[in-house]
Amino acid sequence: MIDYSTDLYDPVYAELGVPATLSIGTAGEVALTVIDDTRPKTNTSGTVEVRSVGPGAFARIPELADNGIERDDYMDAVLSFNGRTWVVRSYELRGSPNGEDVGEVRFLLKAIESTNG
Amino acid sequence: MADVREDILARLLEVVATIPNIRSAHRNNIDITEDQLPAALVLDGDEETNDATDLGMRPAHRPTVVQMTPEIIIAEQADEVGSDLTTLRRELIKRVLTDTELNEQIVKTGRHGNGAIRYLGCQTDLGWMRSLHGALRAQFLFKYTLRPEEL
Repeated sequence: MIDYSTDLYDPVYAELGVPATLSIGTAGEVALTVIDDTRPKTNTSGTVEVRSVGPGAFARIPELADNGIERDDYMDAVLSFNGRTWVVRSYELRGSPNGEDVGEVRFLLKAIESTNG
Repeated sequence: MADVREDILARLLEVVATIPNIRSAHRNNIDITEDQLPAALVLDGDEETNDATDLGMRPAHRPTVVQMTPEIIIAEQADEVGSDLTTLRRELIKRVLTDTELNEQIVKTGRHGNGAIRYLGCQTDLGWMRSLHGALRAQFLFKYTLRPEEL
């Protein structure tokens, strides 16, 4: 059986990953590697389009678990990477052929109000 | 030359630009960026008459009553976007319905003529971008007299 963690995620995160810091409540900061998934995003109202970005980041669930971060901790965590700091407003699990617990999570982020824009 | 339709739309743009905290005001610009928010956009409105039911002998160039329904969109991006839109909506309705130039000089409501300005309603759209994005689409009705000989 193919080990996707070794054969896929390890080289991908080694190449594309950036250092990040995840803060959960008063539990302190945890160092991680994430892949920046910030994308252009458009909101349409009638015929009017407003252009912005949809900030996001991928992280590996085993790395989170090794640092004591469980799914219940994801929401409202503060994630810093690539010079910006965001709040996790939601997330989606990206399963792996070896099982979701060794896959990725995609954090859906929002700006901290004071740094908006 | 007197083009009431154009006068209404041009004045609407001036009115929405005075709403407190609005960063940019546009007319028919349907492609804006988050840096321009909060934004107010005036979209030229559809027009209707009842002339399809009036096929008598009257001359074609006689004055007729027109009802125009422009749309104004208020867009904002913030954690508390709902409260922000509520505040902006309040200022929008108040300013359009009480604007002296619109009422007395352009549309000629009340004792100034047989025009009318009405707030018809609004709809909201929401979505996540960098922050929570909200847009409020408000429709107004402007009843005025179209005088072809003055065009």
